[in-house]
Amino acid sequence: MKTKHILHLYNRIGFGIHPKKLATLKDLSKEQIVNNLFKESNHFSPLQIDTSFMNGIHKDNFKSMRKELVKKSRIKIKDYNYAWIHRLKNPSEVLREKMTLFWTNHFVCEDNNILYVQQYNNTLRKHALGNFGEFIKAISKEAAMLKYLNNKQNKKRSPNENFARELMELFMLGQGNYTEKDIKESARSFAGYNHDFKGNFKLRKKHQDLGIKTFFGNTGNFNGDDIIDIILKEKQCAKFICEKIYRYFVNDTVNESHIQQMTTVFYPDYNIKKLMKSILLSNWFYEEQNIGCKIKSPIELLIGIHTVVPYTFQKPKQLLLVQRLLGQTLLKPPNVAGWKQGKGWIDSNTIVTRLRLPSVLLNNAEINYSEKGDFKDVITNFRKKKLKRKAFIKTTPNWNSFDKNYEPLSYDELLNFIIVSPINKGTKVLLENYKSYTKKDFCIQLLSLPEYQLC
Amino acid sequence: MKRRNFIKRTTLASGGTLFMPQFLKAFEMPSTGIFNNKKLVIIQLKGGNDGLNTVVPFTNDIYYQNRGNIAIDKNGIFKVNDTLGFHNSLKPLQKIYDNGHLSIINNVGYPNPNRSHFRSTDIWQTASDSNQFLQTGWVGRYLDLTKSKPYRAIEVDENLSLMLKGNLQNGLAITNPKLFYQLLKQPFFDRITSNYTNDTHLSEHNLGYLYNTMIDAKSSASYIHEKTKTKSSSKTYPKNIFGKQLKTISEFISSGLETQVYYAALSGFDTHANQKNRQAKLLKLYAESMAVFVEDLKANGTFDDTLILTFSEFGRRVQKNGSNGTDHGTANNVFIIGKNLKKAGFYNPLADLSDLDYNGDLKYTIDFREIYATILDKWLNVNDTKILNKSYAKLQFI
Repeated sequence: MKTKHILHLYNRIGFGIHPKKLATLKDLSKEQIVNNLFKESNHFSPLQIDTSFMNGIHKDNFKSMRKELVKKSRIKIKDYNYAWIHRLKNPSEVLREKMTLFWTNHFVCEDNNILYVQQYNNTLRKHALGNFGEFIKAISKEAAMLKYLNNKQNKKRSPNENFARELMELFMLGQGNYTEKDIKESARSFAGYNHDFKGNFKLRKKHQDLGIKTFFGNTGNFNGDDIIDIILKEKQCAKFICEKIYRYFVNDTVNESHIQQMTTVFYPDYNIKKLMKSILLSNWFYEEQNIGCKIKSPIELLIGIHTVVPYTFQKPKQLLLVQRLLGQTLLKPPNVAGWKQGKGWIDSNTIVTRLRLPSVLLNNAEINYSEKGDFKDVITNFRKKKLKRKAFIKTTPNWNSFDKNYEPLSYDELLNFIIVSPINKGTKVLLENYKSYTKKDFCIQLLSLPEYQLC
Repeated sequence: MKRRNFIKRTTLASGGTLFMPQFLKAFEMPSTGIFNNKKLVIIQLKGGNDGLNTVVPFTNDIYYQNRGNIAIDKNGIFKVNDTLGFHNSLKPLQKIYDNGHLSIINNVGYPNPNRSHFRSTDIWQTASDSNQFLQTGWVGRYLDLTKSKPYRAIEVDENLSLMLKGNLQNGLAITNPKLFYQLLKQPFFDRITSNYTNDTHLSEHNLGYLYNTMIDAKSSASYIHEKTKTKSSSKTYPKNIFGKQLKTISEFISSGLETQVYYAALSGFDTHANQKNRQAKLLKLYAESMAVFVEDLKANGTFDDTLILTFSEFGRRVQKNGSNGTDHGTANNVFIIGKNLKKAGFYNPLADLSDLDYNGDLKYTIDFREIYATILDKWLNVNDTKILNKSYAKLQFI
């Protein structure tokens, strides 16, 4: 397989690849490389952190310690964020992790209970390459989701349609492919869904609605899973997911004939693995117009730099700051519609932060930010806080690793390894001048280009 | 300074003739919007300010029964009419009120209110229905419609809120124009933007978008810096974040920036516990800074063209909770400050406290999007229906 295509593949299903590793793949065929990727990701390793502070806590003694536990949980969610980033930096199941990130912005959810957050996150990871139908059924029963979209408040006597609506609008069909009546009827089927203190799914019989419902032309005493099964019969559901996957892994601009091919593979079994394999083995995935055309998400950017020059944050808290300034803090989505991707990542502020990021991470450049309070901030510290703060992001870059992996490369080879998008004419001229720099500095310059924002 | 002069000046100032064509191009993009001199300043009291303890119905028994020891008694307010009084912390606003420059719109909300801070903030910022999820804000869509440059809407912060994000254009987040300018003045950014050649085959490519956003940021930074560097407010603002934000906005306005919308937020209003002290401090902070801000605008002759909108994502429950605070509620009051208000004082009466929703919350009588529609239509003179995706009734406060 061509170097360029291997790079493209790894940029999309992971966070890039360094030359040493690529050298081990060069003589393999596309099928072999793709099959290996799936083999690596066959296994599922849940992401877990220490949550022992919740041991022995139950519904009854929770109340007396509520304040303290909520606070601890919030800290633990930050820890989980760090742990997740750490995992992304060193993934053994890279495709599964990338798919998990994709699903994070599909089944968007947020919670402040670390147990529910962790369980939810691992449900995404577990089903990331599985069966979409089983996936969405599991999501519908997750404690975090039951809270986030208020389905636990959905009762026969007082229905709450929030989840039912998003199920169709955001999770399965897309706007305009259902009626208000469909939402009402399906909400009835999800009534009584709830969870226990530990986050296990519980069906509350007294809040269930066992009456007859009419949904998408079918009539019966449907429960939530039945509703999902009925939606899955709609080809639109397969198409909707295929389009979203295409936009994430292939191109912002959808190609109808590619979508049609994908839908044929995906429908009616909804096998995510099979679908992904068909994309990665297709010819069009490697076509010129699909290479280097996508704007990286902040996480892809952060982890991508790490692939080139590994770094660690000396103060984990600064990892959160960087995510915030770039506009994507894992576990803190803007709303249930998720992050607006593609051009949505870029504004006058984020572009500046992005281009400075390599200097900040690898060269101790300064970064400006304000110590801004969020909703939970307490007034007492308010006056003391300064509006403007400067910080040096303290990281430890591992240039030895860079030397080891990239040293044999010429400047041109390094350029082609790091930049996969077309390069602006003027910038090309500029890069010629940079060739007098050390390789380390040349590398930082490459990582700081608008071109590097693309993969 | 005329637009053209400015272009010439900054182009020369930034050095290098190579720079010129791109800059000219960036600034000469046709804008189809009809622009006027009007400024809109939007302030969010984050956390959900307790409207009932801000403008207090001091003759209402239901209020006192429900609020118990956190109710504001007659000594804690100054009366503005026979039934309503302002929290004493708002004393600095009295002059503004007496001059007829303040209008209070009561019971502002939306159907099926959401009681989550994040969600309700989203709803206010995107002007969506409560069951609708939009990824653009109403000010962002205003930028889209008017084909504006980023600096037409400025948030005084480092992060850009959803409110200022459009489909085609985003606003600008900035706290310190000098720092932003200096940052972008670094040789590194100069090299990148000045070497950029507009390859036609890449103009549709995301790469063109990245470069253009960078160039926009750079030109916005120097534009704002050039315009504002000599302006410094002579007024003394309270020394806190909010005071500083308002000072920055005042300096921006008086420097003649073409910016039309400014956004800043004051957080901390989530008063579930020990509300009395905390809210008193916050309201004082708000009122003191706001009073200086208005004086400052007046001194600079810009008050006539400035409208200040203060909102909070929701009000609080009528019944106090068990920890001397209040829980998340629904409808709330909105403050409009400006020179030529059509209806100063109370725009409409406070909702009936004996007619609450199933949750014990106030029922809204004015949809917040009617306020937006009114401002877009009557103040900014743009097509509000296109921005709000729906036609809303117009109010009569301006």
